[in-house]
Formats: sequence, C-alpha cells, structure tokens
Amino acid sequence: MNIIKKIFFVFVLFTSGLEARDYIIVQSTTSTANTGLLDLLSEKFLEETGIEVRAVAVGTGTAIANAQKGDGDILMVHAKQDELKFIEEGYGVERFDLMYNDFVIVGPKNDPANIKDENEITDVMKKLSSPSFKFISRDDNSGTHKKELSLWKMINIKTPQHASYIKTGSGMANTINIAAEMQGYVLTDRGTWIAFTNKNDLTILFEGDSALFNPYGIIAVNPNKFPHVEYEKSQQFINWLLNGKGNELIKAYAIDGQQLFFTYN
Amino acid sequence: MIELSKILEAISISLHVSFVSTLFGFFLSIFFGYLIGTREFHFKKYIISILGSLTSIPPVCAGLVVYLIISRSGPLGWMQLLYTPSAMIIAQFIIIFPIMTTLIINYIEQEYPQLREELLSYGASQKDILMLMITNQKSIYLTIALIGFGRAISEYGAAAIVGGSIDHVTRNMTAMIALETAKGNIMVGVSLGAILISLSLVISFGINYFKKND
Repeated sequence: MNIIKKIFFVFVLFTSGLEARDYIIVQSTTSTANTGLLDLLSEKFLEETGIEVRAVAVGTGTAIANAQKGDGDILMVHAKQDELKFIEEGYGVERFDLMYNDFVIVGPKNDPANIKDENEITDVMKKLSSPSFKFISRDDNSGTHKKELSLWKMINIKTPQHASYIKTGSGMANTINIAAEMQGYVLTDRGTWIAFTNKNDLTILFEGDSALFNPYGIIAVNPNKFPHVEYEKSQQFINWLLNGKGNELIKAYAIDGQQLFFTYN
Repeated sequence: MIELSKILEAISISLHVSFVSTLFGFFLSIFFGYLIGTREFHFKKYIISILGSLTSIPPVCAGLVVYLIISRSGPLGWMQLLYTPSAMIIAQFIIIFPIMTTLIINYIEQEYPQLREELLSYGASQKDILMLMITNQKSIYLTIALIGFGRAISEYGAAAIVGGSIDHVTRNMTAMIALETAKGNIMVGVSLGAILISLSLVISFGINYFKKND
C-alpha cells in the first residue's frame, strides 16, 4: 500500500510541471509588487485574455540574474544601463519604456541634517555622507541601490565608509522599516513610499531633482536564447501595458489619492 | 486591509505543500531509517553523522540548491518546476528528511537490538520484527511526522526562493507574512503568524488525541 501511495505522489509531483504553460513569468522589482500594482495588472490581464501573469518580486539585480538563467518570460525592472546590457548580450528582444516615477529622500521629520532647504542633490548627498547622520542603504544590487550608488558617485565617493552608513541587504519597504526605527535617511522610489503604511515620523525631505528620475523598462526574454519562453504571450502582455487597457490601469493606479506610476502616453 | 479569501488561499497553499512534503518525508525516512538503523555496515557511522549535520541545513541554502537544480539552466530545468508548489515541496522535503530520518534511526537504535534478541528467541522472523517495530509504536511516528510538518510549514527561506512568492500560486503563509511585514503592515504580519500557530496547534491536538485513542 505504501509503495502505491509513494508512486502516486511521485507521479503527481513530477507531472505537475509538465503540462503546457498557460502563464507567463514576470521577473520584477519589489517596488512594482509591494505597491500592489502587479497584482492588479495580473488580475485584469487574466480576465481579459485568460493568460495568467505570475510575478516574481525581487530586486532588479536578482531579477536580471534570474532572467539570464531563463527563469522568466518578461523582465520588468528599473536600471536602464543594465537593461540595455541585457539586450546587448542577447537575453532580451527589445526594451520598451513602460512607466516612470521618481526617487525621493525620506528621513525623520525633525531633519537633523537639514536637507529640506537644499536645492541640489549633490549638496544633499554631501551632507548625508557625514558620520553624524544615519543613511540606510538597500545594498542588494536593486535598481534603487544602483541609483543610490550613482548619487554617491556624483559627489565622487564610492559610499560613505563609517558606521552611520547602514547596509540592510533587504527590500525597499523593509529598508524603510529599518530607517524608521533608526531615525535614518533613506532613498526610495515614490511608489513604494506612498504605498508604505508604517511611515512613523518619516517624511519626504528632498525631491524633484532630475537625477532622481526613475524609469521602468519592460523586455521580453529572447526566444532565440531560451526556446521555452512564451514569447507571443509576453509580447501580448507588453502591448497591453504600453497601448492597451494596462496603460489605463497604470495611470489610474492611486493610493490615498496619489498617483504612483506615470506612463508616456 | 487584507482579504479573507487571500488568507485562506495562503493557508491552503501552506497546508498542501507542507502536507505533501511531510508525507514524502515520512515514508522515505521510515524506509531509509530502517535500511540504515537495522543494519551494520562500514560507513554507517559517517552516514548517521552526515544526516545529523544536515538537520541544521539553513532553509535558504536548501532553497538555493533546489533552485540551481530546477532552474531553466539547471539539469532539471526542462521539467518547469521552478516557481511552482512542487518546487516548494522538494525544498521542504530536503529540509525535513534528515531530521525525520535521524529521529527514526535514533528510535531504532534504542529499541531494535533488544527486541530482536527477544523475538528471535521466540522464533519470530526478521520480517515479523520489523513489522512489530513499525506497528507497535505508532505514536513515535506520529510525533516524528508532526516535527517534520512543523518545520516544513514554518520555514520561509527555501519556499520563497524556489516558489517565488507568486500570488495565488506559491504565496504561502510565511511568504505572505514576509510580504505584509515588508509593506509595513506589521500588525497584519503578526496576526498571520498567530493564525499559522493556531493551525499548528489544531493539528498537534488532533495528533495527540489520535495517539491517546490508539
């Protein structure tokens, strides 16, 4: 009897993966998932087309690495340089500008570093590089982390090298949680910030600099590189996001009356 | 803040995945436990030590190993297992199998030599002794199954890596707790944790009741 059961479960285990795929896997960032946008888009796309969208929410770096192993049909991230490299190396077909928002610098309301009145991002970063103020870094190779590194580069340092520069190695919202506890400054995309519910006494202290632009790109994984990818369905999803109902949904997506992501049309 | 249907879905994913991984762990650990425990062979000591050390494998590492194997670029990539409940079952199995096997070997080593001598003197066959060992002490197997199940349903790292925490598909209770905490909904995270523990409590009560009536 036991043997029969065992064989049965081995059978169930191994057949579950072999059926034809009626879903696509999107390797995406925590910012699009933690805000709830991807859940909404998947739900509506399924209703309209019968194609299920399965979103894996990891940092941009991890998402790209996973897609390079062939573990995804679509890459939806925010690090343009890396996205273009992804295509150059033959992993992706074409990069489309999907949507954008911007990064903001968030910190405790009393603003010990007094960055509120600064006009230039470089002045803000100079102040925040001081050991007197805590800066909380993602340090996880995500799009936001890459952006942060580029901001430090603007003032010609790699990263601050002292104990007040804290590396969390975790997702965006987790990192804001830590910043709230430690009363530190943190760079975040505006979408995650608006959707985040544990703000405590943190608030936006610097925004609006052109260096803080945050564009999201979308790329179908190259079927010539990985024959198993669902290219047709992926392209259908991409078109739906760029020109179809998906575009409307992105524009209309708001939390507490605030729009999180903006599209180009 | 979070819909009941989503929580129920996460509970059913958790139960399904952990139940199947425990079932596999249960039968295979009994099989290998007896294979190793009732025999004397050259490398026995080493195998038991290795199994013992694997009881402390970090779930994240188990997840990574499974990920490398079932990724599209891995040897079993063609099976399309990554980001499915089956992948989570495999990862959880790898975590609980050494634990359950170690416990069973432990039990056998305590009971078997004496029992064997006694029963052989009564003229019992080797097969009779094994059957008696298995049927006699059901409660031990139930306890071992419960320990395996508890470990499987409570772990996050492995299931998150190979499952991908995909909504409706692989987002189990622990993945949902992590996600809600990450969004800043800390109280929701704590409540979900309480639900998970209540669930384990019910199962634990059920098994203890079953043991008493055995």
